[in-house]
Amino acid sequence: MTDNRHISEEELALHAMQTLTDEESAAVRLHVSECGACREQLAEISGDLALVAMSVEQHAIPDGARERFVDRISAGPARPLSFMRAPVIPFTPERKTPRAWSWIPWIAVAALLVLSAALGVKAYLLSQQFETVDALLRKEERLLQAHNAESMRAHALLEALTAPSAQHVMLTTGKTPPAPSARAVYLASRGALLLQASNMQPLPPNKTYELWVIPATGAPIPAGLFRPDASGSGSVVLPSIPQGVAAKAFGITIENAGGSMTPTAPIILSGAAPAAGE
Amino acid sequence: MSETPENPIKGTGIPHDRVRFTTSQDELLLERVRARDHKAMTDLFDRYGGMVYSVALRVLKDTGHAEDVMQDIFFHVWENPRAFISGRGSLGAWLTVVARNRAIDALRRRKPSDSVDEVVLPAKTNLASEAERNTIMEKVRGVMKRLPSDQQKSLQLAFFEGLSHSEIAAQTGDPLGTIKTRIRTALISVRKAIQA
Repeated sequence: MTDNRHISEEELALHAMQTLTDEESAAVRLHVSECGACREQLAEISGDLALVAMSVEQHAIPDGARERFVDRISAGPARPLSFMRAPVIPFTPERKTPRAWSWIPWIAVAALLVLSAALGVKAYLLSQQFETVDALLRKEERLLQAHNAESMRAHALLEALTAPSAQHVMLTTGKTPPAPSARAVYLASRGALLLQASNMQPLPPNKTYELWVIPATGAPIPAGLFRPDASGSGSVVLPSIPQGVAAKAFGITIENAGGSMTPTAPIILSGAAPAAGE
Repeated sequence: MSETPENPIKGTGIPHDRVRFTTSQDELLLERVRARDHKAMTDLFDRYGGMVYSVALRVLKDTGHAEDVMQDIFFHVWENPRAFISGRGSLGAWLTVVARNRAIDALRRRKPSDSVDEVVLPAKTNLASEAERNTIMEKVRGVMKRLPSDQQKSLQLAFFEGLSHSEIAAQTGDPLGTIKTRIRTALISVRKAIQA
């Protein structure tokens, strides 16, 4: 992909357009972080891409977009809009399993019968408490009206549950967010380390993620702080760490904003390092 | 260790004196944004929202998702106003590249949608900077149209569709090396035309 000294302009252009593989891009990032000439070239290419982006036909932002943005910054830290949408998953009556729904009318009928019986008993007991026929009739009339109202509700319920044209909709919470992950590239002999993290959970302002190099022997070495952007991405590029440290594993913890010299449990992400050269 | 700077863009090839006025205005606004000035952030949104949205819409072809990308980008600027480093290029150019990259990210995570927005008037911005921007946009559009069709197609597929050079090669039947060269040559042509 590169010659021994510099990365070609073609490869830099593909890198700037994010069309290289993760591994290729990581290698480019590592090289660019050390090579001023390639860094300069990449900046020039990014400027060219900005021009290409400006060639698009201009559209007005959607109605209400500005107000939504103002509301969002007024509300303070928030999750990306795409996570705020709880999907409504419709399913058609044809897909329902008859056995799963067949008990509903019977339950409704049984409930209606029990309700009717209860109301009848109650009417009878109440009738014993009234001394005059007129009073008894008035009470029974009210009970009958209530009975009729309950019957109509039960009937409406039964109709809604059994109608073929009824829509059955299941409401769920939002999609499960993708799991946090991170990829580290480490060259022990140079003390060069690159970490790219994605889908990281947002942190309160007084907290930060901290990367750790866990050596084969000795205490974990702090290897840089990062906070994820709005999309959950974050990176650590060439932190100041000693050279020649053989890493057994890498880990990420949550620390106070200024970082820590010793990791605080729990370890949010960790990964064992393969033997050098694997 | 502090956060990694996120602005890799050096410049747009646009003569410096032409962008100086707008850039200094942007820097003043960013300074106020860093001081948590809502009005300054809204001004930045007004100035560049349409451009960012248009780039995202060109990639995603879906008004809702394009707005999501636009909102997330400006909210990111609000939460991380130091992500853009002054002196490394114009804020507008940076935002267009970020918009394109975020839109490609969104495109790769979901199935394509056929919802396309209708053409409407440009967003409201500062008159002077808008005039500059319109001049540059027209110039770039002209250059893009004059590119050889194979260069134009390769660049469009890579930049706006997010296809890798391998995918473009598979689609066009051309060798990988040819695709890479076409993209690079097209970019150089755009840069030279703007600098001329």
